Amino acid sequence: MAYPIETKDLTKIYKEGRIEVTAVHEADVTLQEGEVVGLFGPSGSGKTTLLSILGCILRPTAGTLSIYGNDVGSLDEGALPAIRKKYISFIFQGFNLFPALTAYENVLLGLRMKGMVGKNAEKRATTMLNEVGLGDRMHFLPKDMSGGQRQRVAVARALSADSPIILADEPTGNLDFANGRKVMEILKQLAAEQNRCVVVATHDNRIEDIFDRTIYMEDGKICRIKRSSP
Amino acid sequence: MFYVALRILLYDKVRSMITLLGVVFAVGLIFNQLGTFLGLMETSSVIIDHTPGDIWITSKNSKNFDFSQPFPEYMYNHVLSETNVESAEKLIVAWALIKQKEGGTEQIEIVGYNPERGVGGPWEMKQGDTKQLNNGNFAIIDESAMKRLGNIKVGDYRDIMWRRLQIVGISSGVKSFTTAPIVFTSYKLAQNLVGYIGPDNTVFVVAKIKQGTSLEDTVERLKSNLKGVDVYTKAEFSYKTRRYWAIETGVGFSFLLTIIISFLVGMLIVGQTIYNSTMEHIKEFGTLKAIGASNFEIYKIIFSQAIINALLGYVVSLVITMLTVKLYDTIGMVMVVRWWVNLLVLALTLIMCSTAAFVSIRRIKKIDPAILFRG
Repeated sequence: MAYPIETKDLTKIYKEGRIEVTAVHEADVTLQEGEVVGLFGPSGSGKTTLLSILGCILRPTAGTLSIYGNDVGSLDEGALPAIRKKYISFIFQGFNLFPALTAYENVLLGLRMKGMVGKNAEKRATTMLNEVGLGDRMHFLPKDMSGGQRQRVAVARALSADSPIILADEPTGNLDFANGRKVMEILKQLAAEQNRCVVVATHDNRIEDIFDRTIYMEDGKICRIKRSSP
Repeated sequence: MFYVALRILLYDKVRSMITLLGVVFAVGLIFNQLGTFLGLMETSSVIIDHTPGDIWITSKNSKNFDFSQPFPEYMYNHVLSETNVESAEKLIVAWALIKQKEGGTEQIEIVGYNPERGVGGPWEMKQGDTKQLNNGNFAIIDESAMKRLGNIKVGDYRDIMWRRLQIVGISSGVKSFTTAPIVFTSYKLAQNLVGYIGPDNTVFVVAKIKQGTSLEDTVERLKSNLKGVDVYTKAEFSYKTRRYWAIETGVGFSFLLTIIISFLVGMLIVGQTIYNSTMEHIKEFGTLKAIGASNFEIYKIIFSQAIINALLGYVVSLVITMLTVKLYDTIGMVMVVRWWVNLLVLALTLIMCSTAAFVSIRRIKKIDPAILFRG
């Protein structure tokens, strides 16, 4: 059975002039469907780099990365957008919503980029915004929404396409505790219901209890993995 | 994507307005320069183009209609003796002075022709009758001259080359490229008024060929038979005159330069604003790329912005240009805007705005989605 994400000895080395910095060192990770995984570590620990590699945005220097059995390392650069389009969606700290588009239009645009158009896409966007509790804010512009609401739009955009893998980088970074927790609970609930694999890079310890599994990184290495008690 | 582009433009209202103004300014200037140039070109050969006749005989090496030298009148008889020629008329075109009513003088261009035959005369009369020119010291003045010469009415007297002439008609549509008012008189009167012409000289002979004869052959035969003059078809002489003003005087180059500068300024303004807008939305575009959007999908948004700017700017410029055409008319200038000019300027506008979008396209191509992970 192919896992959503499977890595073996995954390594990323940045070269800055003559200096080499190992951002990720021989990371072995296997992630499963329906699982919400937290990636913890201090700044510079390599969690964002690892997330970028898992999202097929950065290419590893060494090791293997497999997305549903596709050996990403063997694919050329031009093939990566297709992998992302089919399997991966993102949620970012800064929401990255088009300020000129309403919540509904932002989700719809995301769907369009994933290849879904027409009535199906419209229905899907409406459903997802309802699911994240923004049914009454669908036609609001981002500037007229709170940070928590904007992040929920970003969650709706990420989940609306049927991407089985959701990668989130500090999704609660710009939110207060209550809003951050609410966003994470929605994400966890929908991931579990829809059998998605969710990876969240964060250093917000207050949401640690949400994760099924927590991976701790330090100096580019995975130093500890903790499973939450059932 | 067109809708997304439109929404982005409508959201950034101030920036969009600046872009639109930039496009309107650039396209308006292109329209204006092109229209004015074409207007000047049309006026430069307006009398040639409206004069019935197939062949123009001029003095040797005449460069254009306005500055031709006199040549012996007997050439007229040689032209008439050519078997293919059905008829011919002599024409005087010369520079003269007219005394203003309130004092001072203005330079005018006198066209002396045979009013009985009408060849070389006004083609549209607002008032009066051209036949009256035959009866003595009479002149017809074009209505476009009123700006320079004041309000002249039929029956008024004016001193031209120190001879008192009565105005017997007002013509229409005879605007000179040189902006000097055009005054029509009888051939003999023009010959007498302008001393440097001489009593036995003419400035042009315009010939009409017999039906069924070859124009090219007749021109060639006249060329070989007539010494000391040049022989052109009507189209050749019209083109030669336009070419002189457009190229040899540098007028055309200066118009072309302004058009090129306008094009570049427009491209710069549109390019700059679209680039700024792209940079402002770089993370949003990056997000679209991260979730698998191809560069092409994003290019469509950028290009759509450029096309919307182009079309809006073009329409506003076209309206302004149409108003300018009317304004030109009231001040006695000619601006030519034809369907093909509209199409040409539309094409230039689309090229200008699309090219401007390329800077942003290049930037989108280089977006590294990794920037999205940097807070």
